[in-house]
Amino acid sequence: MKVIKQILGGDLKRYTMVVALVLLIGIFNIISDGRMLTSSNFQNLLAGNAYVLVLALGMLMVIVIGQIDLSVGSVAGFSGMVMAIAARELNLPWWAAVLLALAIGLAAGAWHGFFLAKLGIPGFITTLGGMMIFRGGVIWISKSISVPAPEELKWFGAGYLPEWGPKFTGMNNSTLLLGIIGIAAYVVTQIRKYKKSADVTGTAEPIWAVGARIFLVGSVIAYFTWLFGTGREGTSFPVPGLILLILIIVYHTITQKTKFGRNVYAVGGNKNAAALSGVNVSRTYFIAMMNMSLLAAVAGILFVGRSTAAGPADGTSWEMDAIASVFIGGAAVSGGVGTILETMVGGLMMAVLNNGLMLMGVGADRTQVIKGFVLLAAVAFDVYNKKSGRGSFMSKTKTK
Amino acid sequence: MNRKRITALLGAAVLAMSALAGCGGGREGSAPAPAAKEEAAVEESTEVATEDASDAGEATATAEEASGAGFEEGATIGVSLPWLGTQNWKEAETMFKEQLEAAGYVPIIQAADQKVPQQQQQIESMIENGAKVIVVGPIDGTQLGSVLEQAKDAGIYVIGYDRLLENTSGVDGVVQFGSVKTGELQAQALLDGLKEVKGEGPYNIELFGGGPADPNAPNFFKGAMSVLQPLIDDGTLTVVSGQTDFTQCATVDWDNAKAQARMDSLLSGFYSDKDIHGVLSPNDGIARAIITSCENAGQEIPVVSGLDAENESVEWVWSGRQYSTVAKPTDALVAQTIDIINSLRDGNGMPATDVTADNGVKEVAIYELPPVVVTKANAKEVFANDPSRLELLK
Amino acid sequence: MDNNPFILQMKGITKEFPGVKALDDVTLEVRRGTIHAICGENGAGKSTLMKILSGVYPYGEYSGEIIYQGQEMKFRNIKESEGAGIGIIHQELTMIPELSITENIFVGNEITKKGLIDWDEERRRTREILKKVGLTLDPDILIKHLGVGQQQLVEIAKALSKNVKLLILDEPTSALNEDDSENLLNLMLELKSNDITSIMISHKLNEIAKVSDSVTVIRDGHSIEHYDVEAGKVDEDRIIKAMVGRSIENRYPERDARLGEVIFEVKDWTIEDPEVEGRLVCKQSTFNVRRGEIVGFAGLMGAGRTELMRSLFGRNYGIYRGGTIKIEGKEVNIPNVSTAIKHGIAYVPEDRKNLGLNLLDSIRKTIVSANLEKIIRHGLIDFDEELKAAGEYKKAVGIKASSVNVGVTTLSGGNQQKVVLSKWMFTEPKILILDEPTRGIDVGAKYEIYKMIHVLADQGMAVILVSSELPELLGMADRIYTISEGRITGEISKGEANQEILMKRMTTLAGE
Repeated sequence: MKVIKQILGGDLKRYTMVVALVLLIGIFNIISDGRMLTSSNFQNLLAGNAYVLVLALGMLMVIVIGQIDLSVGSVAGFSGMVMAIAARELNLPWWAAVLLALAIGLAAGAWHGFFLAKLGIPGFITTLGGMMIFRGGVIWISKSISVPAPEELKWFGAGYLPEWGPKFTGMNNSTLLLGIIGIAAYVVTQIRKYKKSADVTGTAEPIWAVGARIFLVGSVIAYFTWLFGTGREGTSFPVPGLILLILIIVYHTITQKTKFGRNVYAVGGNKNAAALSGVNVSRTYFIAMMNMSLLAAVAGILFVGRSTAAGPADGTSWEMDAIASVFIGGAAVSGGVGTILETMVGGLMMAVLNNGLMLMGVGADRTQVIKGFVLLAAVAFDVYNKKSGRGSFMSKTKTK
Repeated sequence: MNRKRITALLGAAVLAMSALAGCGGGREGSAPAPAAKEEAAVEESTEVATEDASDAGEATATAEEASGAGFEEGATIGVSLPWLGTQNWKEAETMFKEQLEAAGYVPIIQAADQKVPQQQQQIESMIENGAKVIVVGPIDGTQLGSVLEQAKDAGIYVIGYDRLLENTSGVDGVVQFGSVKTGELQAQALLDGLKEVKGEGPYNIELFGGGPADPNAPNFFKGAMSVLQPLIDDGTLTVVSGQTDFTQCATVDWDNAKAQARMDSLLSGFYSDKDIHGVLSPNDGIARAIITSCENAGQEIPVVSGLDAENESVEWVWSGRQYSTVAKPTDALVAQTIDIINSLRDGNGMPATDVTADNGVKEVAIYELPPVVVTKANAKEVFANDPSRLELLK
Repeated sequence: MDNNPFILQMKGITKEFPGVKALDDVTLEVRRGTIHAICGENGAGKSTLMKILSGVYPYGEYSGEIIYQGQEMKFRNIKESEGAGIGIIHQELTMIPELSITENIFVGNEITKKGLIDWDEERRRTREILKKVGLTLDPDILIKHLGVGQQQLVEIAKALSKNVKLLILDEPTSALNEDDSENLLNLMLELKSNDITSIMISHKLNEIAKVSDSVTVIRDGHSIEHYDVEAGKVDEDRIIKAMVGRSIENRYPERDARLGEVIFEVKDWTIEDPEVEGRLVCKQSTFNVRRGEIVGFAGLMGAGRTELMRSLFGRNYGIYRGGTIKIEGKEVNIPNVSTAIKHGIAYVPEDRKNLGLNLLDSIRKTIVSANLEKIIRHGLIDFDEELKAAGEYKKAVGIKASSVNVGVTTLSGGNQQKVVLSKWMFTEPKILILDEPTRGIDVGAKYEIYKMIHVLADQGMAVILVSSELPELLGMADRIYTISEGRITGEISKGEANQEILMKRMTTLAGE
């Protein structure tokens, strides 16, 4: 156990959810006779859930500042609908329609941000209002009829990376390139970290632990590269997945390594103390809300792209999926706690569960029930851990 | 210090990766799902066919060109339904299950709880499970474009069930009741009922439409208005509220509660000093909501049309509270669908049909079935072969 | 029963938490009809002992025996200890603000007639009990409309309503001002004359000296010393020695002040209460601080000390109604906190948990939080710099923790305060405002914090020290301003100052 601990770099508790996710994938793969871990299934899994995960990115920040945004589904639906109508009826080029949708998202977020940050109305109420306003808006402007979206948008929601280069690689070369970049980036950061570790902490990690870690993570990336890259000709790592990946990196960096990110956690942890430390609390609220709606617009675009049409019911109850992902990922209802990566694990947990149960032919009714139990179990587990001050099950098994 | 060792590690990692990558070999063959392998042949032929079809814009050609490539008995058939919240969908689920199993297929039947993303993912999981044919009763006929094309790319036949699949090339045919025809029948039943129950005109009536996201709903309304409009024009019928546009009359999501709320406000707003004689209702749930609303408002029950022959409405028709309903016998629809599946299995392609509809991308073959009006007078006769409904007529 | 002079005897109490022995063979004997003080540093185990007595930690989770009124007790929950006549008043008030006094006193214990609450009876009894604690209030007043002192008394009244024989008060005066504290201590003496025994946990040695009959000192989970005192005579130095395990000859470190030029000047500073229109909480305050100088601010609770300091710190409190600030001779406009920080002002608030710290953060993140710019490279936080900075401060100020990644909640009050001080030292301030920097901190840690303040002043920082403990101001400050009702009423140099003079100026009515 100590060896594993050293390889993973300390706190095993952080990995409980990851372990659960891996187990879940493994179990489903066995039950479904290997239909879980196939190229096409993982391509679908990612493309079909990218929009929820994108919402969860924004929702994490909103929940960390101690607020909640109930309007995201409606805003996503509204932005998507405006985009489709603008392209179809105003004949805007597709890229202009996309920019318009993003602008709508920003405006909707500024609206919520204004009420929260400037007038001090709680986010729950502000966005409950927004949820109704924008849901009504979608139905109004669409006259309750779905509007087909420009063909180009399909690329965002259901597209694949281009095929190029030599055939002998046996896979989609864009995906291969992505995998190589991923591994290289990981190796470089690990080595850099290793070199610095001695200077900063005074104790160098054992080189074998670093090596094993690189090998482990590298293998995982390599496996997924292979999985995504060797699907049917013309398929690859899906475009919505790539968009999600880029957003994850961006938002991980923002939350962990920028002043704004720190401010978000400070405001969520103790907003009075944050104010006395020079944090502009209302500005932090404003930006977090605005960002959420911007991401809602992105989610709306991805979904419309995948659906090939914007519908009047788009986005219904998406906020609940996003919120569930954040809480399964270990965020606290009272704010101040939660990370982007944990949230993504939480979201993937839901997605894999959904997908696996479907592959097994379990109906939407029972799937819903199971997801509800998983949400409760995950959060209860988290609360239990915190309350008792004990480590996770993993750390209990560690050798003394 | 450890530069050499680090470089060595880096090398090892890259090697490991390329080793993993290398073991995959070629692409199609390497796809781990056995189902995908078998389809390789079908896949290519259909892909070509699809392209040809969309280029040339030929109607109904796709399926026929692909004919000849049948599939084995005992193949997996996917059935994706919007939800199980109304009787006809629940019946469809049961019948598909029984009849597909009886015909030797392995059915995967899933309902999506009225959530579009859920239905998209369910269809994907059917593709993943190696279905040969996927029958789709869409929640929103326009929003399944990319997944259906994915099914097409995987060489799977896609049959629309009960509702048109729009905005996609990934559909081979649609089995449904003629929706314009249904509307005409509803309106005609309303007129007959008015004459029979309320005596000579003129009559005060109100109009209700279905859920706008359902492509059938505007067609029902269109069909009904083709019968009613001339009589409204000549004054035999008066729509007291003046609401005669589909968007004004529509009931979002086919939600009974919304219909009842609208009826409540119509009655309080326009009928405080008038009697209401008839209401055009697009389905049974909404019809019952309307009747309840009228009863609550103290109005004499108007003549109300319906659709679906739900159990409760069959009882109401029998007891005279609801004048008529239209049976779209689910068994006929399911039987027609299974006929098509059998034809595909035997390598005969999609059966021929004269009717097509433009779904925005292509002309889709439509297999239309005639609906049947049910009133108290003919109920016994219509349900002669339906013991469970016959039971209600007592 | 009569031949046993003790109402309570706790013998050989041992309580373990996973990995820690919180109490080890502790003995506590309390005589009937006395006030018994328990003192000890934070974390010594006082509260744990009281939780065992009141049944929060049920029988079986500890070892040892509790003999109460001659019988061995095995409390399984608070209800049982209450039933036996043991009432506990916690440090944090547990009243429900939106309910009335009556409702609060009888919550969970309602008097009912035919299944409905008998309001008349409840009100009558409430009035009776309130009289006992010296309050004449309408029983229907909502708790939120009472001052902290009154709430404390209502809390005691609630305990009395349950027929207590033994009343435990956990730091009862920590949230009270001088008057209310005085009041409370008198009440305790009165209860004693009514044959109610009290156990008082306190840091404040003067209070212990005033009322207690005997003292038990607990240190690191052991009972160190137990002795009786004649009322009014407690040897403070002996208690301190027992608490910290060492003798503190001088409670304030020595220092030779080297004063520089005036660096911080405030003129005619006037601030209006944001909640009460027209009420000025700071009235034309004028003062200055020199480099290397420690300037004390003395004033009673509510005199406007904190309000003055927070308004100076980027108008964090109140509505600005006039006045100027000069830093290093230049007039500056400071509209918000981040500008204040940029101008070199730092403010350590009095309420550490609610205003000073994000309790979810680690030491490492807290220390850099008020000056992130210092460790930002190309727009991104440099974790190595952060780790380095945090490590340096941890070592320099002696924060006791296994690593800088430890969460601040796990630290003791003294160590938390060191983290807060480090956070503000990291902003490299020129003017450091300390608002009650040693509140709720045990004696040993106080001394360390005093030393830190000296070091900072010696480095040339101008230090403003707000405190309600006059000995602290007398021991630390080079110069003391007194505040009364929002007005500065005096400026007294170290040489002239003593408690009497300060108290006189602090109670001078404004306008005199």
